[in-house]
Amino acid sequence: MMMKAKKERTTFDASEEQLVLSSLERDQLTEVKKQHFPRRRLKGFQVFVLWALRIYLLFMMAVVIYQVWSSAH
Amino acid sequence: MPAPPEHPTNSSSSVPVETVSADVAITHEDVDRAHDRARVSDARARKSLFSQMYLLWLLIGPGVLVMLGENDGPSMLSYAATGSRYGIGFFIPFVLLTFIMALVVQEMTVRLGAATHRGHAELIFDRFGPFWGWFSMIDLTIGNFLTLITEFIAIRAGLGFFGVPPWAAVLSSLAVLYLALVSHRYWTWERLTLAAAAFNLIFVPVALLTHPHWRSVGTALITWKPLPGGFSKDTLLIMLADIGATVTPWMLFFQQSATVDKGLTKRDIRFGLIDTALGAALAAAAAIATILATAPLFTRHMSAENFQAAEFAQALVPVIGRWGAALFALGMVEAGIVASITISTSSAYAFGEVARRPHSLNIPWTEGKAFYSVLFLCAAGAAAIVLVPGLPLVYVVLVVNVIAVLAMPPALVFLFMLVNDKELMGDLVSPRWANALASCVVVLLTAAGVLFGISVVSPRWFEFLGGH
Repeated sequence: MMMKAKKERTTFDASEEQLVLSSLERDQLTEVKKQHFPRRRLKGFQVFVLWALRIYLLFMMAVVIYQVWSSAH
Repeated sequence: MPAPPEHPTNSSSSVPVETVSADVAITHEDVDRAHDRARVSDARARKSLFSQMYLLWLLIGPGVLVMLGENDGPSMLSYAATGSRYGIGFFIPFVLLTFIMALVVQEMTVRLGAATHRGHAELIFDRFGPFWGWFSMIDLTIGNFLTLITEFIAIRAGLGFFGVPPWAAVLSSLAVLYLALVSHRYWTWERLTLAAAAFNLIFVPVALLTHPHWRSVGTALITWKPLPGGFSKDTLLIMLADIGATVTPWMLFFQQSATVDKGLTKRDIRFGLIDTALGAALAAAAAIATILATAPLFTRHMSAENFQAAEFAQALVPVIGRWGAALFALGMVEAGIVASITISTSSAYAFGEVARRPHSLNIPWTEGKAFYSVLFLCAAGAAAIVLVPGLPLVYVVLVVNVIAVLAMPPALVFLFMLVNDKELMGDLVSPRWANALASCVVVLLTAAGVLFGISVVSPRWFEFLGGH
């Protein structure tokens, strides 16, 4: 994969640029990793599971707080 | 050489990322990572046995670190409490099972990281949006901070055995954390932390000093018995604490981000699995050794209700002598220090991924001020809280482990959905057997959480279900 290396604030010599281009996959470059993956569309069941687990977690946190409170008293 | 594609795709996926210009800026982080990857390529090119061993040496790291990192202060304290309350029996195979669960789950993060080259928090935000992303981040932030507090509890208590005052214990551990970071190189940080993590195995000689009854260990592994006192509310709390000692949300975030920072690719996934399995085996050995080390306290009917880390060590003096007890206390210190490094790093990675700031241990301080500040401030904040007098230390660590278990199912479902996302993973999606195992882990953790809730809210129902 050919990519022309653009110099940033830090200056890299040609051998380092060549090392980067030959050793890293394109997706591993910091600049490329700044690109976002597109949002996925969640299905109804998936949204249901996520909400169910969120409610489960909130409820269980309340249980833990209750237990800590009751132990303290 | 061909020009880059107009719509570049992830190396294994079919998700198009936005068009990238042919002029791609190279960063300091890229150069450092390229040096590491060049050594991997060189080792891979040679076929001798020595080269393959060297390749393994180069590629291990995130898996061993995450597993030994999770053998942290509260975990070792949970195992110590387990041994002293239940002796050799049910909990030996149970702890082994928890490490198998951890292996199943953590292997997925290696695949995700190697296939996408993105951290866990970043992927959740990208694929599920900020609404679910923030929920996930809040879980991680709270969980990590609470766990960090317990790490410093362990450090303080462990060094307390040697007469080190709490403020000196906390400051020295922060100094170690800082020293691990000063190189600003992932490779150096990883090797230093691995060297520190190896001391987790100090619990093995401590266990040997107690002359464990190996026949009882063998019988326990086969029969899952005995379980003294039967299945009670306290037993359930210890079970949850032991699960929380092995599988927690920060591990998912840490290993995936470390896999990316290390620069692992699809070709390295097999080594990533070996790395994780090796870590699980070493951590399981240390965990079981801790149970065996404190089992004599059970047979001597010594109450362990209010033991803290150092008190376990002091209680062991009549059994294994002063030197053995000192090793035990040092083990607690090591567990706390390594985990404080890995957990604060996982917080900093997640912050950087979500805030879109540079997030790598390869970046110099000038480029990564936010990353390193978050890392260090998380640890310093937790350390400061530990200096508050009168904290019920053992209770805090058990509760923190329980919270980790409760937060795990939602975190696992995100992981499960990501690793089965064909657009992201391409041909690296989870096979059916892995999905079946992961589903079992989610169901088991959720059931354990529900049972805990029933035991607290409605003890009568808990009795009806067989508890007491």
